[in-house]
This record gives sequence, structure tokens and C-alpha cells, in this order.
Amino acid sequence: MSETPASPSPANPEKAAPPTELPVGPYGQFLSEHGIPSKRLPDSTGVETIEVEPAQLEVTLKRLRNSEEIALDYLVAVSGVDNTDTFDSVYHLWSYSDPNKELVVKVRIPKASVAAEQLPEVPSVTPFWSAANWHERESYDLVGIRYVGHPYLRRILNPWDWEGYPLRRDYKQPVDSLNDKNPHSFR
Amino acid sequence: MAVNVGNDQLKTDEMIINMGPQHPATHGVLRLLLTLDGEMVRNVEPVIGHLHRAQEWQGQNRTWFQYQALIDRVDYLSGMFTSWALARAAEHIEGIKISPRAEYLRVMVSEMNRITSHLLWLGTYLIDLGAMFGFPFYPFREREKLLDLLEAVAGQRMMFNYIRIGGVQCNPPLGWFDKLKRFTEEFPDRVDEYEAIVTENPIFLKRTKGIGRLSKSVAMDYGVTGPTLRASGVNLDLRRTKPYSVYDQLKFEVPVLEGDGDTWARYTCRIREMRESNKIIKQCIEKIPGGTTEEIRKLGDEANKDENLKLMAKKQNSGLRVKAGEGFAAVESPRGTLGCYIISNGSDKAYRFKWRNPSFSNLSVLPELLVGHPIADIMAIFGSIDVILPDVDR
Repeated sequence: MSETPASPSPANPEKAAPPTELPVGPYGQFLSEHGIPSKRLPDSTGVETIEVEPAQLEVTLKRLRNSEEIALDYLVAVSGVDNTDTFDSVYHLWSYSDPNKELVVKVRIPKASVAAEQLPEVPSVTPFWSAANWHERESYDLVGIRYVGHPYLRRILNPWDWEGYPLRRDYKQPVDSLNDKNPHSFR
Repeated sequence: MAVNVGNDQLKTDEMIINMGPQHPATHGVLRLLLTLDGEMVRNVEPVIGHLHRAQEWQGQNRTWFQYQALIDRVDYLSGMFTSWALARAAEHIEGIKISPRAEYLRVMVSEMNRITSHLLWLGTYLIDLGAMFGFPFYPFREREKLLDLLEAVAGQRMMFNYIRIGGVQCNPPLGWFDKLKRFTEEFPDRVDEYEAIVTENPIFLKRTKGIGRLSKSVAMDYGVTGPTLRASGVNLDLRRTKPYSVYDQLKFEVPVLEGDGDTWARYTCRIREMRESNKIIKQCIEKIPGGTTEEIRKLGDEANKDENLKLMAKKQNSGLRVKAGEGFAAVESPRGTLGCYIISNGSDKAYRFKWRNPSFSNLSVLPELLVGHPIADIMAIFGSIDVILPDVDR
């Protein structure tokens, strides 16, 4: 475990540059055989991690899930991450039939490509896994990633009229909400 | 259940009502937006978030040391497991190896915690079904005994903060192992007692048999885990399928029920799980390296030098840090796969926490289970998936 190369650490940009050429892992190999380009990222504690383009996400996950030899059919979690210069949507995939299979798929949207007042857009995987439904809503709610094609993309943990995305790095807490003199105070 | 009034042309309007958020049987604060056609449920939308405490945000704004103590509150009935998931993910990133004694202690307290959680579920579930008087006290009697033991080892009844990054906090007090052993010997008889009252009870069978069927494919589609999934016939128990800690050295069975996975199957699965947990604790008492606390005391300084007996591999103070890196670790909590995804940048606070809570995924399947059932079955079904609302909302 300790030999695993450290992943890009968002606060230390000098360490953030990963080794330029990582060897393609077994899952990346499988995908390239089926004509899907992917990029290997530093392993997440011994688990192969790949990055795919947002446009390729649906076909990638469909292929990984439906092929009989891979059968990564268990979507454990979808996490939204606000990195220093990208918004990441991270998919942890396991397999029901073979417990040793694990894969982390990441989609990265550069912040520079997101227009002001717009949300980064990632295709939704809810049509493949109902499990993704609530996880994507949570990621939308907290990190502000818009999942295109989601049937019901609405805030899930925060109130429906909440402003801002609390897990973004530039999020400002509504300080006034805890002030007794404010008529809209939560107290 | 529909009453035939003799006029098939009779039309009824659908009605939308709120169930909750303040409903005594929701074990927390859950709001269900029900679309009803008379008695029958036509559509359900669970509205969650009333107990949202921003646990992930807090994790990013508290030091590791502070957050460790806070995280038991996510699922207040199984605090050991949330601590364990966090500790495992952090240990993966750090590459620390935990001593066998600490691992055994972790397994013991966690299995005790699993039994207390299932016992509370059993008592309250019977209340949900209308067994208001008498019965709930039986499981709570055993639960108190276990909570006393957990309090003796961790200092708190439910918010333990006992499993830490790098090991466990301390050795149990003197006499603890004997008391626990006595408990494990009498506990199977107590489970027999509950079963004598409940399992073959005609009212209970009528309320649970064939109600709230969850098929294998739907359960897997929604990412349902834990006893709820195993009652539907899928063999997924991380203690067996992805053995962590010392579970591969212990003998126990994972109850998997074939069939349609109704409410009764989920009940049966949990009852059997309690018996298995009891077996695990029994084996741990015999196998634990170093033996009881009395024997450790006799060793004196030798125990501190022995790598197998060392409890903590990391200094516990406010300077606690975790190396830069990212990791995901999961444990099998009483409700299912409890995962923790950490991105650390090497500072005293984590960069990102993401919790994969079993209750969150298990609750999302609720609409599939409720549609087509009468309103009286809602609590029988909702109770059977054993959701803890703070675990859903975090």
C-alpha cells in the first residue's frame, strides 16, 4: 500500500503533477480494445483509477457493466469533488460476482472551461443504475455538478431553496443565518 | 384490502398527503410525500435532509483528531462502524498495519455493536407493527447489558470514539472479558425467547409474510446492501466477500435467504445475524492475542514492547495527520456497506470526505417497495429495511 504513488494533492501544486506516462492497467487495456480512450491516473490505494472524457462516460460504464468478463455491475458511490482546477465526478465500481474486481472512474471538468454562472456538466448514469439517482442529486446539491439526463435533479440534503454549493472551496457560509437579530435567522 | 362497494364505476380522486416529518415511526425525521388512491399507495417521494448536519463539510473544516470524535454521530446506533470505516480509509492511505490484538478488539466491539443495533431494531420494529406492550423490553434488556460493556471499554454508551486511526484507544477494564463471556453464553437462549414470541406469531406473520417484496434485480440496481440485500438472495457481506481485519480467521456463516425477500425474510436474516455475531465474539475471546486484560497486566512492560499487543500505531494528539493521497474503504455495518472516500493533501485536515452510507442507498428503494400496498403497511415495510435517518442525512 505504501508504495502506491500519491494522488495529486490539491493544496500542493508542485506535487500535483503526476508521472507523465503511467502504464495502461488491465481495465484501461480492455477499454482501448473496444475503442474507448482512457487515461490512467495514480492508483487510489491499490485500486486502478482511470479518467475518461465526459462524452465517453456513458459508453465506458455501459461496456464495463455489461461485458461478461469484466462485469463491474455494482455502483458503490458517486462523489463530486471540487479540486483546485477541476470538478471531478468519481465513480467507484465493484462487482457482485467477483469481489476482487474494483475500479475507480473519474470524469474531470476543467474549471476554466465552465462559463461564469454555469455549472459543470457530466452525463448522468441513472439510466444504468438507479443507485446513481440519489448520489448524483447529492453531488449536485453539495458540489454543484449538473448531471445531464438525470430524471429529477433537485437538491436532496439541503433545503430546496438553498443558495450556493456548500462543498465548493469558494463557498461562503451564510454568516447572518446564525445572527439572532436577523429576522431570517435559523435560531 | 380494497373494499368492494358494489359499484365498479365509482371513481375516486387521488390524494397527496404528507407523512412526517414528525412521525413517531420514522425513527428520525423523514417526510414521505404519498399519493394515495383511497387506502392504496400509488406513488411515494421520500423527502430527506431534515437531519442534515453537514458531516462532510465538517470533516473538511475540522482536524483529523476532532473529526474522529465527531463521526460516531453519523449513525448513532453503530458508531463503531463509522469510526472503523474512517480509520481503515486513513490507514490505507498511510499504509499502517494494525497489530492483531487491536484488530481483534475492533472485531469484538463492532460485533457487540451490531447486536445492540439489531436488538434496538427488533424492539422498535415490533412497536411499529403494534406490539406496544411488553415485547420491546426483552431485546432492550440484553441491549443494556451490551451497552454497559461498551461503556466500560469506551467511556460512552453510544458515541464511542474507541476505534481510532492507527488502532484502538485502550484495553478493556479488568473483568470485562469475563462479563462478556457470560453474556455470550446466555445470549442464544435470549434470542430463542424472542423467537418464541415473534417468529411464529400469527399476527406477525400476517403483517410481514409476502409484504414488501424486493426482488434480487431491483435490490442490485438500487445498490441496496446489508441484511436487506441478503434477504433477497444476494450473497454480499464484506466480512466474507472482501475479508478485512481478522474476519478470514473466524468461523461464521452469512445468512442468505432464497426467495422473494419480503419483510419476514429481512426479520429472519437479522435474527440469524445476531446469533452469528455472538459466535464471532465467543471466538474472539478465545483467540485474542495476549488474552484478557488481567493477563496483559501480568506481562507488565513486556506487553508494551510486543508488536502483536500494541494497541495504537499512531500518536493521538491534535497534530494527527494523514499522508497525501486518496483512498476508499468499506466495512459491513449492521445496515450494509459503509464506505468512506477520503482525499487527503497531507495537512491536518482532509481535503474531501465522502460517505457512502448504507441507509442512504437502502432508503432510495422505498418507492419500489411501497407502491401498491395499503397505507397500513408503510411502517411495516419501512421499518423492515432498518434505516437510520441521521445516517441518511449526515
